[in-house]
Amino acid sequence: MNDEPPVQTPPSGLIPPADFTTFMRAYQDMVYSTAVRLVKNEAQAEDISQEVFLKAHEHFDNLSTSPTAGGWLKTVATNLSLNHLSRYRNRWRFFSEFRRDDGGAGADEPEIEFAAPDTFFSGVDAEERRSLVEEALAKLPEHQRVPLVLFHFEEMPYDEIARKLRISLAKVKTDILRARAALAQILARSANRHENFNA
Amino acid sequence: MKPSPEQLEQIIHETLRSVPAHRAPHSLEARVLAAIEARAARPWWRQSFAQWPMAARVAFVIASAGVAKLVLMATVWVMAGFDGAQYASAFSTQFAWIDTASAIMQGIADFCGTVYRGIPPLWLYGGLAFVATMYAALFGLGAAAYRTLYANR
Repeated sequence: MNDEPPVQTPPSGLIPPADFTTFMRAYQDMVYSTAVRLVKNEAQAEDISQEVFLKAHEHFDNLSTSPTAGGWLKTVATNLSLNHLSRYRNRWRFFSEFRRDDGGAGADEPEIEFAAPDTFFSGVDAEERRSLVEEALAKLPEHQRVPLVLFHFEEMPYDEIARKLRISLAKVKTDILRARAALAQILARSANRHENFNA
Repeated sequence: MKPSPEQLEQIIHETLRSVPAHRAPHSLEARVLAAIEARAARPWWRQSFAQWPMAARVAFVIASAGVAKLVLMATVWVMAGFDGAQYASAFSTQFAWIDTASAIMQGIADFCGTVYRGIPPLWLYGGLAFVATMYAALFGLGAAAYRTLYANR
């Protein structure tokens, strides 16, 4: 793991670095985060990140002086991740369809009610919070997790998500709505467990 | 109390956006730089067409045009009902090697035909059934392995 602080959003207004290694260091956390949140697999996310930077190297003459390099990298990382998921889904569709009829995460569990908190983990440090949220995201089925990540992390509008995933707009909205509810339940349980553990 | 969909969207958005980015593995940078070096070290014919030397590009285009011409001639020959007489006189010297290649191919085809006719039908059907059974068994084994080792993780 890096010792340097991660870059979550591309630096805006900075002079783009001329050296490719410096360029890569500035954006690698953002690219890797985008990929790992979508494909949910660290090794595959690293492969995708490598592919993104190889493409960036081919266009480095333009990117090195572009203020939108971060956005370009994020778009390529998102597209490659979605291509990967689509290929993977087609390859394993026969096997995957055996395993989950898909009410999604927590479908069999009783619905819990919770007060509307400002955030689920107000007293938790960043690393632990990330771990809890990533765990919760990983429990969502792919058809809920991917649009949710695209909407909240990549700030993609509903219609673009529908276009990218080649599904209807109504399905995108339903999946995201259900994903939020499922994620809130999982996070509420995690927060309760965390509070009980620390009490 | 259950939050409204709008409240839920707000809560989830704030929760997700407050999560710090993953840190890329250390190996990523080394892998990318190694891949860039490996790409640069590739011979010209394994690089993209735009990177090829000019002479190679010209030769490739000429060769492609030759292949296209052959395909066109073959198409006309087929459409003329395989009547090669009109071509034989015109191209007998240029394409003499085609007759040789054709004779060799005919010999191989005759040999395969003789071998095929020598196999008892029962063996043939038995062999096909064996291949189909093995294919189905390996497919089932793959599905079971996937479900056991990967899908339930």
